[in-house]
Amino acid sequence: MTRRDFLAAVSSAVLVRGQEAPAPPVAIARCQSYDEDLAEIMGRMFDQLGGLGRLVKNKTVTVKLNLTGSPALKFMGRPLGVTHYSHPKMAGAMAFLLDRAGAKRVRFVESCANTAAPMEEFMLDSGWNVRQLKSAAPDIEFENTNALGLGKKYSRFKAPGGGTVFPAYDLNHSYEDTDVFVSMAKLKDHGTCGVTLSMKNCFGITPASIYGDDAGVAEPNENPGKGRVSTCHFGKRQPSKSAPGELDPDSSREPGYRMPHITTELCSLRPVDIALVDGIETMAGGEGPWIPGVRLAQPGVILAGFNPVTTDAAATAAMGYDPRAPRGTPPFDNCENTLLLAESLGLGSADLKRIEVRGERIEQVMYKFRT
Amino acid sequence: MFLALLLAFSAIDWVPVRWFSSDPSSLDLLQGSPINCLLLEERNWSPELVAKARGKGLTTLAVLRPGDGAVEKARGAGCDGLVLEGEFSPKPDLAGQLVIDLPYRSSIKLDSKAPVLGTYQGVWPGINIADKDVKAAPTGGPWIDTNAGFLRFLRAATDKTVWISNPPPEKGVIPAERYLMAIADAAMSGARWVLTLDADFQTRLLAREEKALAGWKKMNGLLAFVEAHKEWREFSFGGQMAVILDTASGALLCGGVLDMVVVKHTPVRPFPYAKVSAPSLAPSKMAVNVDPSALTGQQKEELKAYTRQGGTLLTGPPGWKFPPLKPGQITLGKEDTATLDTIWRELNAMTGRRNLGARLFNVSSMLSNLLVSKDGKRVLVHLVNYSNYPAESITVHVLGKWNRAVLEAPGAKPKEMAVYPVDDATGIDVDAVNSMATLIVE
Repeated sequence: MTRRDFLAAVSSAVLVRGQEAPAPPVAIARCQSYDEDLAEIMGRMFDQLGGLGRLVKNKTVTVKLNLTGSPALKFMGRPLGVTHYSHPKMAGAMAFLLDRAGAKRVRFVESCANTAAPMEEFMLDSGWNVRQLKSAAPDIEFENTNALGLGKKYSRFKAPGGGTVFPAYDLNHSYEDTDVFVSMAKLKDHGTCGVTLSMKNCFGITPASIYGDDAGVAEPNENPGKGRVSTCHFGKRQPSKSAPGELDPDSSREPGYRMPHITTELCSLRPVDIALVDGIETMAGGEGPWIPGVRLAQPGVILAGFNPVTTDAAATAAMGYDPRAPRGTPPFDNCENTLLLAESLGLGSADLKRIEVRGERIEQVMYKFRT
Repeated sequence: MFLALLLAFSAIDWVPVRWFSSDPSSLDLLQGSPINCLLLEERNWSPELVAKARGKGLTTLAVLRPGDGAVEKARGAGCDGLVLEGEFSPKPDLAGQLVIDLPYRSSIKLDSKAPVLGTYQGVWPGINIADKDVKAAPTGGPWIDTNAGFLRFLRAATDKTVWISNPPPEKGVIPAERYLMAIADAAMSGARWVLTLDADFQTRLLAREEKALAGWKKMNGLLAFVEAHKEWREFSFGGQMAVILDTASGALLCGGVLDMVVVKHTPVRPFPYAKVSAPSLAPSKMAVNVDPSALTGQQKEELKAYTRQGGTLLTGPPGWKFPPLKPGQITLGKEDTATLDTIWRELNAMTGRRNLGARLFNVSSMLSNLLVSKDGKRVLVHLVNYSNYPAESITVHVLGKWNRAVLEAPGAKPKEMAVYPVDDATGIDVDAVNSMATLIVE
């Protein structure tokens, strides 16, 4: 069985519905500052979940960061990691913990905004000390998944159940050439999807070379310079013909419909094994400084789980929202609820009554993103 | 006449400020300041002030504007010289006097005999927040308004001291940080900003208001830092990118090709037409010829020789000629910007990720300048911050193998930096830059 077959089998196996969706526990810890001992705090959280070793020992682990938007866009001059980007210290602590748990290789990935340049350069542009991060574990790699990157070809991932927007996606090889997939997200509102947590973070695994506004019509553009708004958000154009086109080009063009469905599809075809949500310092009101009215927020919390839906459900609640809120109610004012879509696909439960929370209780750490 | 000549020689060291009081006691604010040259508006032509200034070793220059009709009064003000700010037609007869012209950019005479070359048409440097793209989309990045391209051209075209000025808007209130940006923007290109405080700042400073004094102290600290390293002005522009342009092809304007390259942090060597030769261009791997039609036959031959030697040449659109400068023009017209955008896109494709002297990371709110000592053994990287916050976690990759780097910044002791090899360069990590800092690499 190839790795791709295995992924497809795993994805199909979770096609169970509603009440049957798995509801593994979520760990919550308080953390007021990135200067605290993050490795100790996060290590304790993973121990509360049963330990990392059983998942990662002798495995290649790919960590998808959340480095959304251009690094040139800073909010109030603050470092990106305390507003809308993953924080380098979280990444360092994660690499250390993965190495300690026996991971063979740790690969940090992101589809870096508007570029196919090496991920390390994007991280430097984001103020990361790449050399320091590399020293956190012996075998650390980086790959910008916004294009072909270091791979020879794209990996095709079929959407279990046939998909709703796209039947399959062509992604950078890193999402296939891995044993364990980690979504390292930020605790944030999202202008279109309500919240952006470990699932929405996976929206960014799509390469702009194929799904970008300047993607090639027939073949990928290996030098992408734009985002994915036309193709993914609004469906104004199709991806490169080298990848499968939309199932129904007459379906809704509304971002509030498309983005939650695409996100859910991506999480079903490339399952998240470890979800980590950084709410130490962040922003409220949107996912980045380009959203009007965003403001700094210091929830002082970290959430972790081995299921992205349960983790995001707990995180949504910790933001002061109902994770089962229907469309038209906060935070899903103008969009589908990605959590419920994922639950309906059997990816995990969004029902707080079924999710065991370990460490801090949600009420103890709740930080209302809307007042 | 002899005195004027003597003064002209010392002009190279003048650190100018437009002084804002006729009260001699106001000069106490200059205690410990590197400022040594006062530009005095007519209302401040006070014999007492001039005398006290002279006693403190300060040079005084009376400022005249077109239509003032105060030429004779200026002569009698007792100042050491005059500044003609604006477009005078005809110019007043000031024979025997030391005169500094600060005219329109378009009127700058590169072959002037005056000790200082300059203009009063500086742009106020800073991040251009008027650009909606800065905030409207996740793809945006800020454009920084700067005089850097213009000043670097002047520095390349002449060995004169260069001043740039722009009095604040009449009722404008400018934060201290903005003055620091203006000083540093000019200084990194080897020029001097004629410090002119807004009326509100003047009032508060004269009243010794605490916040104003703190801002004034910072400005003087930055000036002191720059003036403590006069030898840096002897360094040449470094890097492997040449931009060939002249007064007729937009070199005196802001927002042109030079600024575009500067904002991209690509080290650039401006080449006025008179200095175009294959040997002088040889260290540059790439050259941009903004307006090919403006070159003489001989200059075109030199460029051919440069490309035969392996240099890559990018030229402006065929048949396009840079439009003549309009009097008072400071920035490019919209159509010219669109035309240059074609060059810009090609330039971006050509440079890509190549290290053409230095590559800098996490510097979206900053500009930089790479300079090289005459013997090539030392390299300077000036770093200027245009945001109101400290710029943090900056990485610099200086092309080549270097053994040592020291970071100098206003009010701080020189700091020995760790250097490490990276690809074809030497890496240096800088924790933070407030207004300005300089890396000295050996």
